[in-house]
Amino acid sequence: MANRPQIRTSNSALIAMIADEDTITGFLLAGVGNVDLRRKTNYLIVDSKTTVKQIEDAFKEFTTREDIAIVLISQYVANMIRFLVDSYNKPIPAILEIPSKDHPYDPAHDSVLSRVKYLFSAESVASGRR
Amino acid sequence: MQSSENGVESRNGVAESEQHILNFLDSVDSYLILMETLSSALRQGWLELASARHSMGASRVNSALFDLKSHHASTTVQVNDDLPQFKLCKWASSDDPEKYSEEAKFEEDELFQNKSDGPRHQHQELQEKRRDGGASPVGTDNQAQKERSKTLSMFGTLVSPKLRATQLSFETALEMLVEISNTRASLLHAYDQVQKDRTNTE
Repeated sequence: MANRPQIRTSNSALIAMIADEDTITGFLLAGVGNVDLRRKTNYLIVDSKTTVKQIEDAFKEFTTREDIAIVLISQYVANMIRFLVDSYNKPIPAILEIPSKDHPYDPAHDSVLSRVKYLFSAESVASGRR
Repeated sequence: MQSSENGVESRNGVAESEQHILNFLDSVDSYLILMETLSSALRQGWLELASARHSMGASRVNSALFDLKSHHASTTVQVNDDLPQFKLCKWASSDDPEKYSEEAKFEEDELFQNKSDGPRHQHQELQEKRRDGGASPVGTDNQAQKERSKTLSMFGTLVSPKLRATQLSFETALEMLVEISNTRASLLHAYDQVQKDRTNTE
């Protein structure tokens, strides 16, 4: 039981976001914005001045906070930290890659579909037949 | 006698494996359909936001106006252990996050209870339920409206109708995202089952 993941039950949890300004604006209008007493937000606005390190730090922070259940990340931002996103395998928070205005959703880069695409590959079919 | 029993067990095992594969393929299909629908909802929202910015002015709709004072999110999710499952809770009072209006809870259970339906049919049913709405108590509607207005007020007292439309589009997108989270969880669960079946047969 030492390796049992921490799964929260039925308490309200936040939706975190790492995305461009317009996407964050839209979701804040939908009421998901949260600012705690230390003025820490549950979102990171990514623009031309945002560094990869800042994105990495935000991703690590959101995926380790216990009050966050879903992390939305624009797919083009996820591509900047692809190694980190693909190596994440906990059930909560759920990482969802979303499209942005200038970068439509590409299923080939989605980390969830990448994980399971092995089942559709020719090698997988061939090995099943042996 | 023993060989016929073994044969029956083997057939049941194969049938179960095939069911796991079907569940997995259904989940992948649902996931892709939902992502496509999400893209449409987001595009709609971005277009409406651009219209709002055009009519109100860029200085009135930008990230510099975001509320950075301490406040709770009005829209949150509830998680339970199974799979896990997520449930969206919209427009609770941001002053008291523990109080949720019953009308504001978005039920995700139908997605898993109606497993015999195809994913497209399930999605269509959910879309119809949203459109029909159902009767909502006046009190909970007022609560949701109050929270919506409070959120809009960070961009000023008088806002463009396009900004209200943006809010509704992103609310729809949020509902889809919660569905996608649940579909993702069932997809990964089905994948694990298929992998386990492959390992057992090798």
